[in-house]
Amino acid sequence: MPSNAPNSSGLQRLIAQLAPLLIVCALMFALPVLLNNDFLLNKVARYLVLGILTISLGLSWGFGGILNLGQAMSFGLGSYAMAMALKLKTVPVHTGASGLPDFMVWNNVQHLPWFWEPFRSLSFAIAAGLLVPALVAAGLGWFMFRGRVTGVYVSIITLATMVVINLVIIDQQSYTGGFNGITDLAQLELFGIAFDAYGRATYYLVAGCVLLSLLVAFAFTKSRAGLIVQAIRDHESRVRYFGYDVALYQIFVFALSAAIAGLAGMLYTVVMEFASPTFLGVQLSLSVVVWCAVGGRQSLVGAFLGAVLVAGMQGALSESAAFLETWTLVMGALFVLVVLFLPKGLAGLAQSTWRWVAQRRQAAGSAVARGVSQTEGST
Amino acid sequence: MDQFIEQIVTGLSIGSILLLVALGLSIIYGSMGIINLAHGEFVMLGAYAAWVFHTYLGLGLLASLVPIFLVVAAFGWVIERYVLSLLNNRPLDTILATWGVGIMLQQAVRLMVGSELRYVQLPPALADSMNVFGIPISSYRVFLFVVSIALFGATWMLMNRTTVGMKLRAIIQDRSVAASFGINAKRVYALTFAYGAGLAGLAGALVSPLKSVSPDMGTGYVVDAFMVVVLGGVQSLAGTVASAFILGELSGGIAFLQNDTVAKTIVLLAIVVLIRFRPEGLFTARVRA
Repeated sequence: MPSNAPNSSGLQRLIAQLAPLLIVCALMFALPVLLNNDFLLNKVARYLVLGILTISLGLSWGFGGILNLGQAMSFGLGSYAMAMALKLKTVPVHTGASGLPDFMVWNNVQHLPWFWEPFRSLSFAIAAGLLVPALVAAGLGWFMFRGRVTGVYVSIITLATMVVINLVIIDQQSYTGGFNGITDLAQLELFGIAFDAYGRATYYLVAGCVLLSLLVAFAFTKSRAGLIVQAIRDHESRVRYFGYDVALYQIFVFALSAAIAGLAGMLYTVVMEFASPTFLGVQLSLSVVVWCAVGGRQSLVGAFLGAVLVAGMQGALSESAAFLETWTLVMGALFVLVVLFLPKGLAGLAQSTWRWVAQRRQAAGSAVARGVSQTEGST
Repeated sequence: MDQFIEQIVTGLSIGSILLLVALGLSIIYGSMGIINLAHGEFVMLGAYAAWVFHTYLGLGLLASLVPIFLVVAAFGWVIERYVLSLLNNRPLDTILATWGVGIMLQQAVRLMVGSELRYVQLPPALADSMNVFGIPISSYRVFLFVVSIALFGATWMLMNRTTVGMKLRAIIQDRSVAASFGINAKRVYALTFAYGAGLAGLAGALVSPLKSVSPDMGTGYVVDAFMVVVLGGVQSLAGTVASAFILGELSGGIAFLQNDTVAKTIVLLAIVVLIRFRPEGLFTARVRA
């Protein structure tokens, strides 16, 4: 999506660019009316959450040129932040007087560790779910971008960092639930509304967050900072010669993307009713890259739809094991084809089709006009 | 003291496996700039090829090494020719494409032979152990060490003493100038990739008696091997050898002193710091900017 300088038709263009976003969101909000099945609605909510995660990757990869192979790290941190708070809400039910989460009791932990203590407050947990990923990303970004690390090396560092955090979480079983993650959570309660994973409230919460993330990301790409970030993606040293602090902009987009991924992680815990080390695993992290590439890395709505469609299909086919295995094969092939022939993904395909149609129409229109002017000339 | 030597030997053994896997990766990355995420799957194909040759054709592991090299190299050639060569100027996209190819290979194997673990027999001649410095060591591990060094030697000769190697080095320096001297870059790239893939296949075949063979066995190797390449420095074969054994000793040693998780964590963090401060690797002279 080439960015345009504001001009007389700027508003019109802005509306045209927002149109797909608004259409998709309208469909999303209308879905519960059409779909009267709570189980399916929960599944769709799950795909929407993965869509938010993919939007966050699209922001750093498609717009910032930073291929973060550890995007699931931020997702997982958000997810654990929410799970810790929801776990502490259940404590009396599951462990009686000692007031400790059940897995800590099993691991002979006597006191609630200090870093669990503040998670008794849900507001703290939600703030942490956004800020911890953002701060970790900012720190990592500072470490990388101040050293002018680029391209492939960014991917390796982000991937390695995620694996380290994953290893630590699995290893520290008595504080994190280890391999099993944190299970048996309470329901999220906000402003007096209880968010049952299979309830409509949860679906609307997720849908609202999708809309919010899309709008925030969209606004960022249209902002001055967003334009500079895209310029850095296209030609880093030229932007540096103009006197911009390249690293600062990269750190910012990296942290913003992490915060959005953290939001997705928190919602994922609410929808799935647990947190697990697989939420910050290599598998998920690479899947996000696939979704983003298939949908279109340089289109926020495209990335979102890529995740919802591909993850949705995978979910629908996972009922039968043989089917799922064939599907994975097809998925791999599809992915290779997209990388080879559609580097801008389905969104790019849609865009060029749209442009082609518009051109045809314009050509037809000008032919008519020429015909008219000719007849006028002859008379 | 014995324990110390034992630890060194374990490290050497881990290092020789790392070197086997990393050698192919290093060639491909160093000369073509392609991060081949399908490399682990080439390792897996090699291991399965060993199993197939053994189970269906009754060939021993040692006898089937050459055919395995050729089979996996053929896979590599096809992939370079029909996928990677289309991605000439998009290095980041080659990561994605090779990853997709890796998924396909893994899944195809899973569909065809199932995801059960398979086992490959040790060659009977190497099944016993021998004494080195008064410590009993499995002969097969000594054999692996020797083979990995021999393969490194062969690769070095190929790069530095043959016409193909010279052409490849010319292309690395300047592709268009090399092409104007009549070097067919496409052909050399395809051959290079095939050779790297073949080496990975050999690695898979050689480790198959030590580990169980499964469709997803390659994933772990590719990460470790990649760390070896990064540590050793791009375009430095000798660096690859040194870093393979350094990493082997390090992970063996730390795992002995602490545990596996700590070992992995420390190695990964060390790599991260290394990339940040010395992205050209430990063993390369500073590249001209």
